[in-house]
Amino acid sequence: MPVENYIDLLPVILLGIVFFGSAVAMIFWSARRGQLRDFDDQAKVIFTHEEPEGEISDHFPDK
Amino acid sequence: MSQAPKNVAPTTPYSSADASIRAELSEIDASLRVSSLFFITSAIFWLMAGTILALIAAIKLHEPSFAAGSELTTFGRIRSAHMNAMALGFGNNMIFAVCTWIMARLCRTPIRHGGLLLIAGSFWNLGLTVGIAGIIKGDITSVEWLEIPKYATPLLAISYVLIGVWGIMAFRFRKGEHVYVSQWYFLGALFWFPWLYIVAQVMIIWAPAQGVVQSVTNWWFAHNYLGLWLTPMALGTAYYLIPKVLGRPIYSYYLSVLGFWSLAIFYNWAGVHHLIGGPVPVWLLSAGIVASVMMVIPVIVVAINHHMTLIGSRLNWWKSPTLRFVVFGAVNYTLVSIIGSTMALRTVNMTTHFTHFTVGHAHHGVYAFFAMIMFGGVYYMMPRVLNREWPSASLIRVHFWMCALGILLMVFALQICGWIQGTQMNDAINYPDFLQIVKSTRPYMIIRSISGVMLMVGHLAFGLNFFWMLFSAGAHRVQQEGPTLLISKKEGSKT
Repeated sequence: MPVENYIDLLPVILLGIVFFGSAVAMIFWSARRGQLRDFDDQAKVIFTHEEPEGEISDHFPDK
Repeated sequence: MSQAPKNVAPTTPYSSADASIRAELSEIDASLRVSSLFFITSAIFWLMAGTILALIAAIKLHEPSFAAGSELTTFGRIRSAHMNAMALGFGNNMIFAVCTWIMARLCRTPIRHGGLLLIAGSFWNLGLTVGIAGIIKGDITSVEWLEIPKYATPLLAISYVLIGVWGIMAFRFRKGEHVYVSQWYFLGALFWFPWLYIVAQVMIIWAPAQGVVQSVTNWWFAHNYLGLWLTPMALGTAYYLIPKVLGRPIYSYYLSVLGFWSLAIFYNWAGVHHLIGGPVPVWLLSAGIVASVMMVIPVIVVAINHHMTLIGSRLNWWKSPTLRFVVFGAVNYTLVSIIGSTMALRTVNMTTHFTHFTVGHAHHGVYAFFAMIMFGGVYYMMPRVLNREWPSASLIRVHFWMCALGILLMVFALQICGWIQGTQMNDAINYPDFLQIVKSTRPYMIIRSISGVMLMVGHLAFGLNFFWMLFSAGAHRVQQEGPTLLISKKEGSKT
């Protein structure tokens, strides 16, 4: 691929713009869906009824 | 900031007498059983192959006549075969196993059509085998991190797309609205890696760009392979395992989101710092250096979150096989990143460039950070996927100590050696003889080989424990005092 000037890289630049646009869209999507609110509650979503907060779930047998 | 709950007597879903309580997680774990076993078995195979290749390459650096009778075992081929076996073989198979499992758990949805995942995984390993055989045969491309010959890469690309789709499909069919920070990291990496790989392949291998554009693309890809593929996968795993094992939420969820987005913004600019001093536009190098320094933001954010979550946990992380590895990895993430940002400064780079310092830095990042976190992930995951205990706590300890001490020894030796080497190479008056500088690195290279043997011992312990667990076929299913906590002493006595 001969690259004499930036125009030669246009396909890659366009692809990059699409990629960057996708990232911006993801930020907007997350903001609109409430992903950037109530952080303390959201930190607890990994705990479930089956694996609740406050339980240690891994240790050596003699510890 | 979340208040840490008081740790209580341990129980787990699998130790519960109520089958309905266990049902959902068990279904998710079961849906990934076959593919997980396949990926981890493959990862262990590549780990062993990669370690043997690494040892051969390491010994050659202080005993050049070692394995010198054939062109197949020349340093260039063996070293590249090692790197691809570790990065694409061990690293990616571990990611496919551990991160897909965590993704499915966070999405609370079983993985569908696991057989197709298995086929895609088989093609990945087949493509890699062909590629590494090609490197050893002499079809190597001579482009660092993209050495795999042209005829093997389409198979790898197609396999990756098929595997990546599974992670995205799990996300698409998730239960619940919230996206946990680990999912952000995994989705980001799944999104970034194909972009990196395709652009690098097209612009360097298939339709090569001219001149410095190739080298800029090369280091953009190579650095981002660590920063936008291995790093987010390992950080996402740590963000899941640290709070999960300790039973306490992450210190600051707000900071974790900030950390993810700042990584996404800054990291992809940083790779060009590998070309400092080269014939590259100065503004491009400056942008890369600024981005490298800005990486301090996500690194400090992650460090605060990971380390503050541990504080006050009464050393429970040390009592957990999983967290022993994960915390070691997390601490080294902080260290390697700060060192990396410093190395990007022009004045420091003048000394470290073209020396073993950089090699030590790469091993610090890929092994002490990424690989150790992935080992921790396997120790947590496998008992839950197989509903079976790890058979030997001693082997886990051997694995940890050999790998932790081995990699620290290697990093110290290479970075001290590299700094001395760089200082001497910059002082042509006192060190005019280049060969003499090379010879002075020999003691450090011997230490490096010793550290490689230590890593090999650790890997053998890991492999032995894994296959013992796999083939003991239920012998440890109801063990009352297993190395990992699946069945507490109290609950286990009921089973």
